[in-house]
Amino acid sequence: MNMDKPLRRVAIFALLLIFGLMAQVNYVQGSQAEDLRTDANNPRLYADIFKTPRGQISAGGEVLVSSKEIDDEEYGRFYKDGAVFFPVTGYFQGGSTQVERAYSGLLSGDDSRIKNQRWFDTFIGKSAEGADLELSIDTDAQRTAYERLKQATSPGRRGGAVVMDVETGALKVAASWPSADPNQFANDPRNEKSGERLEQLNEGDGVQKPLVDNALSQTFPPGSSFKILMSALGMSELGLDGSSNQDTSKLVLPESGQTLPNSHEGGACGSSAPLRAAFIESCNTSFGRMALELTIEKVNEGGKKFGFGERVEIEPDFFAAQSAIPVSHLNEQGEEVKTGQDATARSGIGQQNVTSTPLQMAMVAAAVANDGVIMNPYVVEKGLAQDQSEVYSADPSEYKKAMSEDQAKELQDWMRGVVTEGTATNLQGMNIAGKTGTAEQGEGIPNARWFVGFSPVDDPKYAFAVMTEGPGGGANGAGPVAGAIMRQVLK
Amino acid sequence: MSSLGEQIRARLPYQRRNAASLVLLVFAMVLTLSAFAEVGLARDGSIPAGMFGYGGGLVVLAVSAYFVQMKFAPYADPVLLPLAVALNGIGFATIYRLDLDTSADWKQAALNGRTLEDAANAADQLMWTFVGIGMFVAALLIMRDTDKSDAPLSFTPKTAQRYTYLIGLGAIIMLLLPVVPGLGNTVNGARVWIQIPGVGGLQPAEFAKLMMVAFFAGYLVNKRQAMSLIGKKFGPLSLPRLRDLGPVLVIWFFCLGVLFIQKDLGTALLFFGLFVSMLYIATQRLSWIMIGLGLLAVGVFVAMQLPFMGHVDQRISIWQNPTAYFDGGCLLDSGEVVPVNPNTEIYEKFAAQGSQFPGTAACAELGGAFSDSRQLMMGLFSLGEGGVLGTGLGQGEPWRTPLAFSDFIFTSIGEELGLTGLMALLLMYGLIVQRGMKTALAARDSYLKLFAGGVSFVLALQVFVIVGGVTKLIPLTGLTTPFLSQGGSSMMANWILIAILVRMSHDARKPAPQAIQDEGMTQIVSTR
Repeated sequence: MNMDKPLRRVAIFALLLIFGLMAQVNYVQGSQAEDLRTDANNPRLYADIFKTPRGQISAGGEVLVSSKEIDDEEYGRFYKDGAVFFPVTGYFQGGSTQVERAYSGLLSGDDSRIKNQRWFDTFIGKSAEGADLELSIDTDAQRTAYERLKQATSPGRRGGAVVMDVETGALKVAASWPSADPNQFANDPRNEKSGERLEQLNEGDGVQKPLVDNALSQTFPPGSSFKILMSALGMSELGLDGSSNQDTSKLVLPESGQTLPNSHEGGACGSSAPLRAAFIESCNTSFGRMALELTIEKVNEGGKKFGFGERVEIEPDFFAAQSAIPVSHLNEQGEEVKTGQDATARSGIGQQNVTSTPLQMAMVAAAVANDGVIMNPYVVEKGLAQDQSEVYSADPSEYKKAMSEDQAKELQDWMRGVVTEGTATNLQGMNIAGKTGTAEQGEGIPNARWFVGFSPVDDPKYAFAVMTEGPGGGANGAGPVAGAIMRQVLK
Repeated sequence: MSSLGEQIRARLPYQRRNAASLVLLVFAMVLTLSAFAEVGLARDGSIPAGMFGYGGGLVVLAVSAYFVQMKFAPYADPVLLPLAVALNGIGFATIYRLDLDTSADWKQAALNGRTLEDAANAADQLMWTFVGIGMFVAALLIMRDTDKSDAPLSFTPKTAQRYTYLIGLGAIIMLLLPVVPGLGNTVNGARVWIQIPGVGGLQPAEFAKLMMVAFFAGYLVNKRQAMSLIGKKFGPLSLPRLRDLGPVLVIWFFCLGVLFIQKDLGTALLFFGLFVSMLYIATQRLSWIMIGLGLLAVGVFVAMQLPFMGHVDQRISIWQNPTAYFDGGCLLDSGEVVPVNPNTEIYEKFAAQGSQFPGTAACAELGGAFSDSRQLMMGLFSLGEGGVLGTGLGQGEPWRTPLAFSDFIFTSIGEELGLTGLMALLLMYGLIVQRGMKTALAARDSYLKLFAGGVSFVLALQVFVIVGGVTKLIPLTGLTTPFLSQGGSSMMANWILIAILVRMSHDARKPAPQAIQDEGMTQIVSTR
């Protein structure tokens, strides 16, 4: 009996074993390789990120963020005027925020938009070089904003400013005081003190949380600047116009019997006035009544047309905080409490539980300045590969249609009136128009002072919102800051 | 019609192919030296000193082996030696490369008065390569050409048939050595090492592997007629007699014993697979494969049920879901896996008590079995990093994987040489196996056929078990990767394996002795 036949079969089986291994190795190194490389458990993910330089982030031809070799072939990240641009650039030290996070793939070269372009590099396993990013930020205006916010804000308190190109949505300024300097914790990946510093900043000091910027990521009561939104709702929901007669006399709140005061008696805010005058002189009672007439649900619905109630996506994975006009809130016992009549009246003047980011109020002003249309806000204009080919380009798109063109035109006129004849006559000659806001934040806490508007006055191109915390009102606390910033933007 | 073996023999060249062998050998050496050079160029930008010391050493050894083969086995298959040299060289260069990264850790540990086992050591590997190729030479010299039976040491592969049971006993003793107290040594959970003073650790199972092949071949050649012909027909299968089944059960039981006592799943699997395949070659009866697979299933089932053998159960669980075990996972009785890693509370609780194995203690508290898939995952990450073409020798980070130079050397090579390099390695293994199988087909004797077939198959199976394990094709079990892994026993045993194949291929391929009719009454009788 011969053994050749079974031998041959075993030989084929042995070959199949080897083929099985070949197939598996192909599967792992071919199909699965990408998943394995990006597996969260893979320590190379963390070790390698400092081994190659990330792309630069620049604005207006000025390099703001760059990678430099520190030694041992490791690259650290360096931030020019780190604290000034922190609300936009964010930081990168393994973890990342803001633009550093939104475009981490492009900056590090891992993104398929770069790799696909260089399919040959991918094929031979060469890692693609990171792309450079160009921001829409106006560097000089941003520096001005930072300095002026610092001066205008009470010690230990916060301030924020946003300027937005109304036709494109490009952000020109997004400044915060206080801010954090990423050079203190993101320069050197091997520095053990970095982590400590980051933790320290994260805990913050009182209400100041340096890692949370006050332009995009923090909300404040908008106060009277909210009346821009209320006026738009009044026009569309209640059919009002500038000449509609408003009751500006004392408002006795229906539930508690307390009175809702005006900032001043007399003038338009005496007994009755046209809506335009009530707006210019910022009569609280007329807007409180408007809110009661609309009901809080309608105000909440109306706010959604401007972006309230949702996190506005500035860039992929880079969101602004959610601004809110709550119809209910949780009390200290964790029970849900509906916003009552009194609270509705107060919500109508941007108090109670109404909160907004400076970005959100700038978007409200943008709706006015841009004939009712809000564009999607963004900060990254372009991504350029190292060979200067464009791998990303901002594509301005409409975010929401908040009001009609006529309503916008009318509101533009009112906002000009605020400066020429209303609550902000001190701002004349600054080529800005807008609405003041002064929100009380409780006993012993400084006011949130706002000035929200547009510029130039005659042909609105930019919308802005400036907020500083301190004593007094918006006209003096925020208006001059806005004027200084806009002078720089328009230069 | 003539048998396949006769057909193959009819087509064999019956001529010396030493020139071809030399060309291939030079190619293998160029490959090795280039690998050393690339390591140096990638790391320091210059040709490394190691290329002359280590690479040169390997070249001298390989050339010596070649001359011995040319002199004493001139008709041998020309491909076997160059393939083994190439595999050995690539493994060696990889160990040299890993040594550069891990020797610092090793020295630091030595400074602290500890010994660190987990470090690559190129100097030792050169020594083991020397011993391995020395074994190859010695084996070729001892196993004489069947034509020269008057040589001083008259021992051919065929001689082993006479000592079948003695060799079988030897294999069992070898396998059981690590269990002997004072001699054995548990490394990484498996008791497969023996400690020999002055020599270091040895894995006797590597040698037992070859002795087992010789024993199975001898035993089956005697019994195969009975085992293949006699039996009851039962449907499509014909079942063997109980007295033929007996020895099979003994082997199965023995393999289970290896598994239980030494916790060495890989070796048990290797021996059992080898036995079943040789049984099939000898008898050509499918029923033996069925019985073999059935017994294997029963064995695995039994192992999974026994509480103190949580091992097998866990390995299968890790294989199915390695991510859950990363940095430590605890397999509960319910089959659920909970993480028990340094970030978990239960781990911290036991770490705070100063427990040496907080993970194990924490898991015991939960009533489960602790295991860690870090090594497997890191190996897979290595492969992922390598991709199609690899990072290039010296430019990856294969040292991140524990035991990157022994059990996981395949993934280390995969990271730096990529899919391309691994396919080349697998092709080399495949070629050795198929050349071995061809030798078996061409052999002129049943015993030699079985012997060569078994030797070739055991190599294929070993590569499959370890490479399949580290690439997550099958559950991971510890075995050495032939010629690549760092270590002495594996190197020696596999070089002897190659020597056996070289010797047998020489015997199979040399021209049949000519009867010299001219000299009157004298007639040479073949001694095959």
